[in-house]
Amino acid sequence: MKKYVSLFLLLFLLGLPSIVYEDNDSRYEKLSKSLLCPVCQGETLFDSPSEYADDMRGVLKEQIANGLSDEQIMNYWTLRFGERINTNPHDTNPFLLLIPIFLGALFAYVFYKKVRND
Amino acid sequence: MISSIGILLTWVGSLNLIILFFSNNKKIFQSLVRINLLIHFMLFCLLEIGLFLDDFSIYYVANHSAATTPPIYKFASLWGSLDGSILLWNFVLSIYFYLYIKFYKSTTEIYDIKIFALIILFFNGFTIFSSSPFAGCVQLASIGCQDFTLLPFQDLVISDTGRGPNPLLQNHPLMAIHPPILYLGYIGLVLPFVISTSELFNNYKDENWIKVAEKATYFPWLFLTAGITLGAAWSYEVLGWGGYWAWDPVENVSFIPWLLATAFLHSSKTQIKEQTLINWNYVLSCLMFLSVIFGTFITRSGVLISVHAFSNGNIGTYLLIGLVMFTGLFVYIGIKNVNYFKSSKKVEHLFGRSGFFVANNIVLSASALIVLIGTTYPIFYESFFSKQLTMGRSFYDILVGPLLLILIYLMVFSTRVSKVNLNLKDWLGQNQNQINLSLILSIIFTVYFNASYKFIITIFGSILLIIVISKNILIRFKKTKLQGKYWTGQISHLGVGIFAVGLIMNVTQSYSNEIIISAGDEVNFGDKEFLILSPFEEIKSEKNVINLPIKFNNKEKYASLNIFKNSSQQAISSPAVFRNIESDTYVTIKVIDEDKYKLIFRENYGIFILWLGLGISSASFLTRIRK
Repeated sequence: MKKYVSLFLLLFLLGLPSIVYEDNDSRYEKLSKSLLCPVCQGETLFDSPSEYADDMRGVLKEQIANGLSDEQIMNYWTLRFGERINTNPHDTNPFLLLIPIFLGALFAYVFYKKVRND
Repeated sequence: MISSIGILLTWVGSLNLIILFFSNNKKIFQSLVRINLLIHFMLFCLLEIGLFLDDFSIYYVANHSAATTPPIYKFASLWGSLDGSILLWNFVLSIYFYLYIKFYKSTTEIYDIKIFALIILFFNGFTIFSSSPFAGCVQLASIGCQDFTLLPFQDLVISDTGRGPNPLLQNHPLMAIHPPILYLGYIGLVLPFVISTSELFNNYKDENWIKVAEKATYFPWLFLTAGITLGAAWSYEVLGWGGYWAWDPVENVSFIPWLLATAFLHSSKTQIKEQTLINWNYVLSCLMFLSVIFGTFITRSGVLISVHAFSNGNIGTYLLIGLVMFTGLFVYIGIKNVNYFKSSKKVEHLFGRSGFFVANNIVLSASALIVLIGTTYPIFYESFFSKQLTMGRSFYDILVGPLLLILIYLMVFSTRVSKVNLNLKDWLGQNQNQINLSLILSIIFTVYFNASYKFIITIFGSILLIIVISKNILIRFKKTKLQGKYWTGQISHLGVGIFAVGLIMNVTQSYSNEIIISAGDEVNFGDKEFLILSPFEEIKSEKNVINLPIKFNNKEKYASLNIFKNSSQQAISSPAVFRNIESDTYVTIKVIDEDKYKLIFRENYGIFILWLGLGISSASFLTRIRK
């Protein structure tokens, strides 16, 4: 009996997000989190308290208000500040994710082979 | 004067280590290790005296302290920059050398003494040949000192006033304890390195080396955890960005040894109980220390940019030589022991104790590998494509996140694991009530917080982990006291479960808003109401502070902007934090424009729960140190 209760509860839980969840992150939040503040040390535009970042945030908000696409906005910034301003380079370059996944999997495989009695 | 004494004493210290390296008599090397500790303690005190007496004839003091610096930050200036922090590094190494002789040394062989002496000698060499915290000033800069000498008894020039520490480092007292605690953890990983290399160098090895190495890792592990946590707390309290972890390179290189040390604390147990994974344990025990040197190399050589960046000098080359040397030793001893490693037993039961430890080690080491790749990507990318690359948070979220999720479920199923395979059906049967309770709580959690798909699996796992372990503890607690290694692990896992809940809340629920106000305004943020009072300025010897009092529920706190004298750096914003169990309201001043204030209000969820979990996890280890 309890087993069925668990199963029911589990299915209910898995279905829940489709009812209750909505994505609250605004475009501004997403974009300012993926742009690096060029004068700070390793902080994003979203996080940085510097005045320079504040000016940049102003420009970014204007761009969003003018209806520019995400791609146009990222292009604008990378053209001016170089690729390093993009803190999510793996969005456009999947190799950056595939290399560590491959190496991690290789490590796991070799490790497993070594410790198993085959 | 202090400069000359310091330089001479450093030479004496190195001479002492050379004698130590060649000494074969137990009594002699025991005294020499004590003398070594005394010398490094004296060097530490000497530089502190220099800092407190404002001896600006010392290059380091002139450039990293000022007459106006408050006492606590003068004290902390010793590790505020590269040269001084190497002094602390050597002092901590010497402490560990002494502790090793007193508590951990189990053999009558002396290879351990030689390897240890060599390591300290190596780092001492840097302060003799490259840059010393006692170097005297020979040429002034406009503020502070321009050029130095590494020789004693030279004609020194004295600057009028010092440059003062980095503003970020003199903004919060946590800065005075975070680095030493972290060093005690970070550098302490030298112990397992020395123990395993020296034991395996021996042809008649004592099979107990793994027990000694494991025991010696507890202390550094605890301090590394505490140090990283304090760093996160400092970042949250001081940097004013509302976060605690940024995947900054320097954070990453403290996280890599932590992951490896955590893996080692688990894998060593299977060797002790079932003689498996002997080769892997050797690799891990050395890799911890090697990753410490590698991490110091990539973050201190100037190849990476980070909030923690120091001056570079030629420390990079020096550390690289050390890395090659110590890695060489590790590889040489590894090859020498190929036959011994073959005696390692295979893992029979994939879902038994050893199997779980294997899975744990694969996940933790793979995480370490991914963090390493993410941290070093920019270096490779720049050398191959001549373009700079920034790896932000989401890279790590995508790759490390799922691995940590696997760890949570491993912890859930390992609450009752024996040598033979776990019977899943039995496990589910025994934990039926806990599973149902966790499901109900997860549903409440999901509805209350509007959680997404990505997080419900983590939420369920974490809650299940907390409930399963809590129930075990409660039952056991009624019968007997909680004793033994098993409970150390379980309580530690309980802390991880609580931590995970806090982390999920923080990542999914936090929100923020920019608000422009004037004094006297009322601000509505979320469902809370804040009153902004009149700002006032505080003039201190080292900085001017603009305080903006904010009132909420009769509690008044200051959000402030610190403008440091003698510094070209931008003003630093200190947050006003209204703490609560569920969430903190975190207010920072972003910009002041005449009488308008641009404030950032953040609702940071789960911060208290996060610290609580980390606290429980760390505290569980306290009982293990004494044994």
